[in-house]
Amino acid sequence: MKKRGIGIGCGFYGTGYGNGFPDVSRARAKLETDGKIGIYVGATEVGQGAKTVLQQIAAEAMGVSIEDIKFYCESTENTPDAGTAAASRQTYNTGNAIKKACEALKEGLIYIAIDKLLLNSAVGIRVENKKVYLESYPQSAISFEDIAKALTEPLCFEESFTAGTTKMEEESGQGAPYWPYTFSVYGVEVEVDTQTGFVEVLKAVCAQDVGRAINPQLLEGQIDGGFSMALGYALMEDLRLTNGEIRNNRFSSYIIPTALDMPEVKKIIVEDPEVTGPYGAKGVGEPVMVAAAPAILNAIYNAVGVRMREIPVTPDRLLEALMEKE
Amino acid sequence: MLKQVGKAEIRVDGPAKVTGRASYPQDLYMAGMLYGKTLRSSKPHAEITIDTTEAEGLKGVIKILTFKDVPHNHYGVLFKDHEVFCSKKVRSIGDPIAFVIATSEKIAHMAIEKIKIDYRELPGVFDAIEAMQSDAPKIHDKGNLIYHYKLRRGNVESAFDRAAAVAENTYRTSMVDHAFLQPEAGLAYLEGSQVVVCVATQYPHFDRQEISEALALPLDRIKVINPAVGGAFGGREDITLQIHLALAAILIGRPVKAVYSREESFAAHSKRHPMVMTYKTAADAEGKLIAMEASIVGDTGAYASWAINVIRKAGVHATGPYVIPNVKVDSYVVYTNNPFAGAMRGFGATQVPIAHEQQMDILAEKLRLDPIEFRLKNCFKPGDRTATGQLLHHSVPLVECIDKVSEWMNQNTGADGGAIE
Repeated sequence: MKKRGIGIGCGFYGTGYGNGFPDVSRARAKLETDGKIGIYVGATEVGQGAKTVLQQIAAEAMGVSIEDIKFYCESTENTPDAGTAAASRQTYNTGNAIKKACEALKEGLIYIAIDKLLLNSAVGIRVENKKVYLESYPQSAISFEDIAKALTEPLCFEESFTAGTTKMEEESGQGAPYWPYTFSVYGVEVEVDTQTGFVEVLKAVCAQDVGRAINPQLLEGQIDGGFSMALGYALMEDLRLTNGEIRNNRFSSYIIPTALDMPEVKKIIVEDPEVTGPYGAKGVGEPVMVAAAPAILNAIYNAVGVRMREIPVTPDRLLEALMEKE
Repeated sequence: MLKQVGKAEIRVDGPAKVTGRASYPQDLYMAGMLYGKTLRSSKPHAEITIDTTEAEGLKGVIKILTFKDVPHNHYGVLFKDHEVFCSKKVRSIGDPIAFVIATSEKIAHMAIEKIKIDYRELPGVFDAIEAMQSDAPKIHDKGNLIYHYKLRRGNVESAFDRAAAVAENTYRTSMVDHAFLQPEAGLAYLEGSQVVVCVATQYPHFDRQEISEALALPLDRIKVINPAVGGAFGGREDITLQIHLALAAILIGRPVKAVYSREESFAAHSKRHPMVMTYKTAADAEGKLIAMEASIVGDTGAYASWAINVIRKAGVHATGPYVIPNVKVDSYVVYTNNPFAGAMRGFGATQVPIAHEQQMDILAEKLRLDPIEFRLKNCFKPGDRTATGQLLHHSVPLVECIDKVSEWMNQNTGADGGAIE
């Protein structure tokens, strides 16, 4: 017999290294000789979209489009240390460092423009479309390219950002160990085959706190990825450790979800800007995962009335639990 | 008005990846390149002696690296408890023992077969709770318990006494793999006074530091290049072949490449900590959570990696996103002879929801409350404090998230939230 059930899961995730450890990102913004903006930062693109999101932050700060950003992140030789691509920290931490470096570069450009345009103050100056000009007299403007040509030494600024956390008290664990916290809620509908023990997730929905969406499409990609990883965690993945040996050490036996196992996940992006985030953004790489697996477990209970306290809920485990219930 | 933020820009690295132009470490080739292959432990806990004589005599074998070749034979993100190559003892299956450098991959494989390892097996421990017993086999010189995180708020005992509903359960999660698409691979070569290591990593600057410490080389003599990365999820935080390749290139003076098979990849990188989580959660008659007590035991396998940080994150997140005035959490992490666990998406905060979210549904049922209504009564709102006393002063849109999910579920799912067959 097939039985259906629904379930919900809520989660939160504190960003960063945490516990007062210096969680530092460094970034450099430079005016390139062609008038484009060079961003130099040791932040890895692991597939999460860091290259795109961090360029959007730089472009926003400089008033240009991402085509005018040159982004370098692949070598220790020409990039400052931006910390690890982990702990959902790159958008938040490194995004902030890039924003600060760009703001410093922008100020540098303004001071050069004051000199070149014979202005008397930085007040009322705009930096936009790769030009610097007095807002009330836009016909006199200097382009980034012309500034670059006139430079005798490179115009480059390095800035850093350190997340604000405290070390927790030893005996009580009291303190402010992480910041910011990101919230996530999943709902799912499952269908359980009581004869085979097979669980199919029919529908899923995620409402994801993002602070501010830098790139909604990449956020949706993170939600799909987080859900599929949680689906494998809840129902499939098992190394089958036997006396320390991984028995399932290839994808013919270590089963992970495929596209055929994935329901369409309805994504609801919830914006509530984080004041310390770059343009209000929070990291989502891990938050998108935490609440999904328990939603599936709660839906299984709702469908067939058995509480699965051990994961993964493989068909044999579920059949055993169903038999015990009888 | 924001112009670039909020735009659905196509990922900038996308076109190169979908057209096959992106270079992953496995795609790199150099003239005169040699191939490296790692010999790994087949036993979970044993003293070893290594004899490479016969393998070294094989035609095409250039050199076989062992612990004797490494200036400082250790590495690790928190403690330096990994050996670059095991010297006297192996602590888990898959521990690297030697690295053969040969003119072809085939010869390197053949040489691996000819290295003789004399294993003198030691009793092993494969269960985290057993590993905490005083008579359990010791994985390292110190005891197996690495860290105990304590969270204390209010008084759980008196709160349990006045509870209208209590749920008490033990939950277990499994050890899982990141299953990233691209197995580890890398190429190292000399360039002037520098050794260049091309490898897919989450943190090139830290890899450089690990290589620097193990090889006793100043940082400016090492360059780490991070080409396209085929997924990571935490599995590329601890290094794998970085030091092996750098050392090989330095000692031989020629480019050296290594590519792991999927099976070797499973053996080489960290895993998600399995946890045993015993929870007691209580609510009053109005449906407000009043107390939670949890004991969490994590298995970090043979090496610490991020054990302390992971079990601390599990402890801090153990309540779930709910206001609970009385909380007592003890989270422990221990060594065993299992494959080592480290960072994986969620980092301790992925395991605890398996427990706290089922506890929430169990309590809701006992209180005859709708699970959503029960969560809305207890979830964090701006101005609330977490169990560590941290003030959530803004950007806490959890009620909105729950409402939106609930609304969508009501419109789009057929099953009835409360009904149990």
